[in-house]
Amino acid sequence: MRGFSSIVAMELRKIFAYRTDFWVTFLGQTLIQLLIARSLWQNIFETNNVTSMQGFNLEMMTLYYLLVPIGVRILAGQNIGFLSQEIYDGTFTRYLIYPVNAFVYKSITYLTHSFFYCIQLFFIYLIFHLFFTDMPLNPQGLFIGLFVFFIASVCYMSMSMIVELISLWADYIWALMVMLRFFVTFFGGGIIPMDFFPDWAISILKYTPFPYLISLPVKSTMSLIPLSETIEGLSILTFWSFIFFGIVSLMWRRGQKSYAGVGI
Amino acid sequence: MIRYLTLYKYFLRFSFSKAMEFRIDFFFRFLMDIIYYVVNILFFQVIYLHTPILAGWTQDQMILFIAGYLLCDGLNMTIFSNNIWWFPQLINRGDLDYYLIRPVSPLFFLSLREFAANSLMNLLVAMGFFVYALFQYQSSFTMLDLLFYLFLLICGVLLQYCIQMLFVLPSFWIQNKRGLIDFFYAIALAGERPDRIYKGFVRILFTYIIPLSLVASYPARFFIEPFNPWLLVHFFGICAFFWLLMLTVWKKGVSSYSSASS
Repeated sequence: MRGFSSIVAMELRKIFAYRTDFWVTFLGQTLIQLLIARSLWQNIFETNNVTSMQGFNLEMMTLYYLLVPIGVRILAGQNIGFLSQEIYDGTFTRYLIYPVNAFVYKSITYLTHSFFYCIQLFFIYLIFHLFFTDMPLNPQGLFIGLFVFFIASVCYMSMSMIVELISLWADYIWALMVMLRFFVTFFGGGIIPMDFFPDWAISILKYTPFPYLISLPVKSTMSLIPLSETIEGLSILTFWSFIFFGIVSLMWRRGQKSYAGVGI
Repeated sequence: MIRYLTLYKYFLRFSFSKAMEFRIDFFFRFLMDIIYYVVNILFFQVIYLHTPILAGWTQDQMILFIAGYLLCDGLNMTIFSNNIWWFPQLINRGDLDYYLIRPVSPLFFLSLREFAANSLMNLLVAMGFFVYALFQYQSSFTMLDLLFYLFLLICGVLLQYCIQMLFVLPSFWIQNKRGLIDFFYAIALAGERPDRIYKGFVRILFTYIIPLSLVASYPARFFIEPFNPWLLVHFFGICAFFWLLMLTVWKKGVSSYSSASS
C-alpha cells in the first residue's frame, strides 16, 4: 500500500510540474474544440429551424462536447508510448527489478493520470452548471459518470497495452496507437453523439467495446440514461477488460522471450 | 534556384531510403492516415443523415470541400509536417547550430529536409478522392475554375505552414520541447469545418487571428459559389500577412537563439 501511494504521489508531482502543458492542453483541446463543435451544431439547428435533435438541445450538446475531450484524456491516461518507448529505449528493464510488478507499476501511473483528469472533469462540470446553464445539477449522475469514466479508462488502458506490447515485435507502433484513438473517438461517440448514428451501425457497435468507452460515461454524467443501462454498460466494460488483460498477459509471456533490453 | 532544387532532390532520395528502412512503420502510418480520411468522410455522412444542408452547402458540395482539405492535409503532411514537428527539439537541444552554419537558407533546410514518403501514398489517395468528388459534383465547372481551385488550395497549404510555424517558433523563448504544437493540433480541427458555421468572435478567431478556416474553406467557396472579390482580397491579404509575420518571428527567434541546450 505504501508503494502504491508513493507511485501515485510521484506521478502527481510530475503532472503538476508541467503547468504550461496542462493549460495549453486544457485550453486547446477542451475550449477550442467545444467552440468548433458548438458552432457546427448551432448551424445545423438554425438551418433546420429546430431546438433539439435526437434528444439533444444546444445546451446539452455544449455539455456533451465539453465532457468529451476531458473524457478522452481520462481514457488516454498517459501519453502514447508509455510502454513501447521504454521497450525501444531498452529502459523497460528497470521495471523488472522494481519491488513492484512492472505492469502493476505502469497501471498505477497510467490510472493516476486518469484520476487527475477525473478531478478536472468534476470541477469543469460544476463550473458549467454554476455559471453557464440553467440545466439542473445532478450530483448522483456526476459521481456515477466519474466512476464509469474511471472503469472505462481501465478498459482503454488494457486495449492500449495490447497495442503498446506489439513494440516487442514491430519497429514503431505510434501509428497503431493513433489508429486506436481514431476508432475509439469516432465509434465511441466522441465526434458525434451515437444517437445520430444510423440504427444498423448502433446495433453492430453494441457488440464492440467502443460505445462504452465514451458515450456511456458521458451520458451517465449527464444523467441521460437510466441506472440500469449504466450498470449493464459497466458489466460489458468489465467483460471486455478481462478479455484484453488476458491478451496482454499472453503477449507479455511470449514477448519476454524476444525482449533483449538493449533498445533499437 | 537550381541549387535548391538539386538539394531538394537529395532530400527526397534520403527520405525514401529512410522510409524503406522501417517498412512496417511505413505501412502503419499509411493505414493511419487512411483511417483519418475515412473518419472525416463518415463524420459528414452521418451529419447529412440529419440535415439536407450544412453551412449553405449540399452533400456533393461538402464532399468537394472535404476532398480539398484532405488534399491540403496530404500536402502538408508530406512536405512540411514532419520537419515542423522536430523544430522545437532542435532549438531545445541546441542542434539548430548545424543548420544555421550551412551555406543554404536555414528556413528552407529546416522546413523541407524530411519528405514524408508514407504521406505521399496518402496524398495519392487524397488526389483520388478529389477526382471522385469532382465526378460526383452536380454543377458544371470549367478547367480554369478547377486550376484556380487547386492554386488556392496550394496557397492554403502555405498559409497552414505559416500558422503551424508560428506555433513552434515560440520555442526560441519558452524552452518547451514541443513548443505549442499540441495546441496547434488541437485547433487544426477548425480548418476541417466549413467557415460559414462560425459566427461572431469565433469567426474572427478562425478567419483573422488563427485563420485556419481559410485554408480549405475559402478555396472551396470560390469553386462552388459565385465569385466574390472581397473574399479573394481577404484570402491573399491574410496569406501575405502570415507569411511576413512568420519570417519576422523566425528572424527574431534566430537572433535571440542562445545555442545552449535546455
